[in-house]
Amino acid sequence: MSHSVLVCDDAIFMRTMISDILAQAGFEIVGEAETGAQAVEKYRQLKPDLVTMDIVMPDMGGIDAVREIVKNDPDAKILMCSAMGQQALVVEAIQAGAKDFVVKPFQPSRVLEAVQRVLG
Amino acid sequence: MDLSQYAELFLAESREHLSACNHLLLQWERQPSNPEPVGGIFRAVHTVKGMAATMGYARVADLAHRMENLLDRLRHGNKPPTADVLQLLFRSTDLLEKTIDLAVAGHERQVDVSGLVGELDAAAKRMAGTPSARGGGEKAAKSVAAKAAVDDATQEGRLVSVVLRAEAQLKGGRALLVLRRAEGLGGVTHVSPPVAAFESDEFDGRFSFRLDSPAPGEAIERQLAGAGDVERVTVAGAEAVATRTEATTTERSRHIRVDLRRLDALMNLIGELVTARGRLNELATAMRDPAVDDVAISVSRLTGELQAEIIQARMTPVWQVFDRYPRVVRDLAQQLEKQVALRVEGKEIELDRAILDELNDPLVHLLRNAVDHGIESPAERKRRGKRPEGEVVLGAVRERASVAISIADDGRGIDRSKILEKAKREGMVDAHLEALSDDQLLRVIARPGFSTAHAVTNVSGRGVGIDVAMTKIRSLGGTIEIQTELGRGTTFVLRLPVTLAIVRALIAAVGGERYALPLTYVSETVEFGAVPITTVEGREAMVLRDRVVPLVHLRDLLGAQGGVPSPRRPVVVLQMGERRTGVVVDGMLGQQEIVVKGFDAPQGTLPVFSGATIMGDGIPALILDAGGLV
Repeated sequence: MSHSVLVCDDAIFMRTMISDILAQAGFEIVGEAETGAQAVEKYRQLKPDLVTMDIVMPDMGGIDAVREIVKNDPDAKILMCSAMGQQALVVEAIQAGAKDFVVKPFQPSRVLEAVQRVLG
Repeated sequence: MDLSQYAELFLAESREHLSACNHLLLQWERQPSNPEPVGGIFRAVHTVKGMAATMGYARVADLAHRMENLLDRLRHGNKPPTADVLQLLFRSTDLLEKTIDLAVAGHERQVDVSGLVGELDAAAKRMAGTPSARGGGEKAAKSVAAKAAVDDATQEGRLVSVVLRAEAQLKGGRALLVLRRAEGLGGVTHVSPPVAAFESDEFDGRFSFRLDSPAPGEAIERQLAGAGDVERVTVAGAEAVATRTEATTTERSRHIRVDLRRLDALMNLIGELVTARGRLNELATAMRDPAVDDVAISVSRLTGELQAEIIQARMTPVWQVFDRYPRVVRDLAQQLEKQVALRVEGKEIELDRAILDELNDPLVHLLRNAVDHGIESPAERKRRGKRPEGEVVLGAVRERASVAISIADDGRGIDRSKILEKAKREGMVDAHLEALSDDQLLRVIARPGFSTAHAVTNVSGRGVGIDVAMTKIRSLGGTIEIQTELGRGTTFVLRLPVTLAIVRALIAAVGGERYALPLTYVSETVEFGAVPITTVEGREAMVLRDRVVPLVHLRDLLGAQGGVPSPRRPVVVLQMGERRTGVVVDGMLGQQEIVVKGFDAPQGTLPVFSGATIMGDGIPALILDAGGLV
């Protein structure tokens, strides 16, 4: 059975790209979210195996969304998508409960490695 | 046994001990009543003695032995040393250093140590009245060491050291993921550096912690390596935990000393490889063959990693040069009958060894200037309501692609009006100029021989050496800035590239030729014509966000004929300190890494080139010197 994924990013471009990378590797994209609040809501509805989460999003950022999701589901598997130079934010996200992170610009192989680590 | 192969190591290690000696002597001199430094000095001299005896350097060993005798008396006598005794120890340390250098060179016999040996013995004898408790002292030291070992062994868990891959991004985040995995195995304590440091971009991906877990070492290593981007995990075995000494020994054995020339040769080869990589990339782009592309991409990546590794191997912390300066400042201050303390900050900042070696002369010049001309005599300082002891701060700070080294004194500062007056008299500045900016001031005082006249007595000599220092710094691709406030002090800031060999540069086209502009000094690019143009003092300039930036047309400057300038020509804004210049070029060809080659400019060449590089297609391009243009 393929793993289900929820993709959270405020940019369509990034969502499309991540979805493509993961879909090509056999994952099932079950939902997308544009804001942190949406991410929390969709996580509750969809119970995906994996979440990719952008750090900076409008209406509740990625880190707060991680906190909120982990509060309800400590086993949530969340992969942060960060940009270079967001060291402190990534550290904060991991402390909040994110399981791993990838750095933009994405290399498909690195994204898939990180996904394997999170799910493994 | 042939000992000559150990000579280099002996020399290097002895220098470290002598440096420690000087350091501690300075500390002791500042506060003779505090006996704390003497133990360290004793140990340093004792270690040198043992090593020298092993090498068969009899005079070194003898001198060290007599010093040790005196130090032992001082250590156990409860009296602070007199100024004479301290001076004797300073002189002995100097002679010890000289003897060691000559001994290693095979000329130990050229040194006569008998004079100082006599003085040391006499001084030790004078202190003979004080009882020596040597045996007891040793014993006490041993029991302290034993206790430390016990403390260490009872600390919970094994020491785990982790090194992340050099190319790993956001290393702090990765390190935290490694810790999370470790926490899954057992208790984690003593994280070093502390987790808070992971949030800093300065974090270099090396950290350690203690892990209290029954899991076998191999399992721990495997589990932690699974966090991704992990270069190496080392779990200390039980025996390594036993004593701290052994732990440091294993740590040390991972380092080897390499002749700098080897690194230079390696760097040159990698430089050529970088050039070949550029050529390969161009060919691959032209061929549009995915297979060739793949090879080109992996060659690119590997070259990049190789380059990063070799640059890292050349990096040397600045303390290796800075460490001698407290002594330099102290000797000069004593000679001039001034009181000066040197504070060193940012010792651990690293620079390319080749740059660091070249920095010594300019830094000594500037430090001497600070002590000689900056800091006032104690009496004058008191009159001005300052503490009698002046302070010079030598600091290193890592900036983006450069390191800033500052030499700041809290002395009298430079009198701008006097300098301005004199500069006007000599026709160096416009006769109507009302005040000198920091940059203008620097240009004036850096003119060779500027301040030899009597008119500027309170800054006499300010210019001496500054021109020399400035030329040297410029040749290293660096810049100098000055800030000064009358009565408050003067600060020189030197900015240097972290490494010399390879820099990122903008490649610009002018008259059908390519020129490289090192990115270190590029602040931005704008489009010619998109910003208002004006004239200032007969020079063309543009107005950029309310500031006037003078323009230089490279086509005119270089007398370029060929090529056609695009109507939307780019202007590259170069910035050095607070000065900016817009360089108008024909077109921009992109950014790339270039290998800087030394360059002997032919007679009559404009002084605007700092070097040359070979482009991917094998054709050379000149590197523009920001310092010459701004």
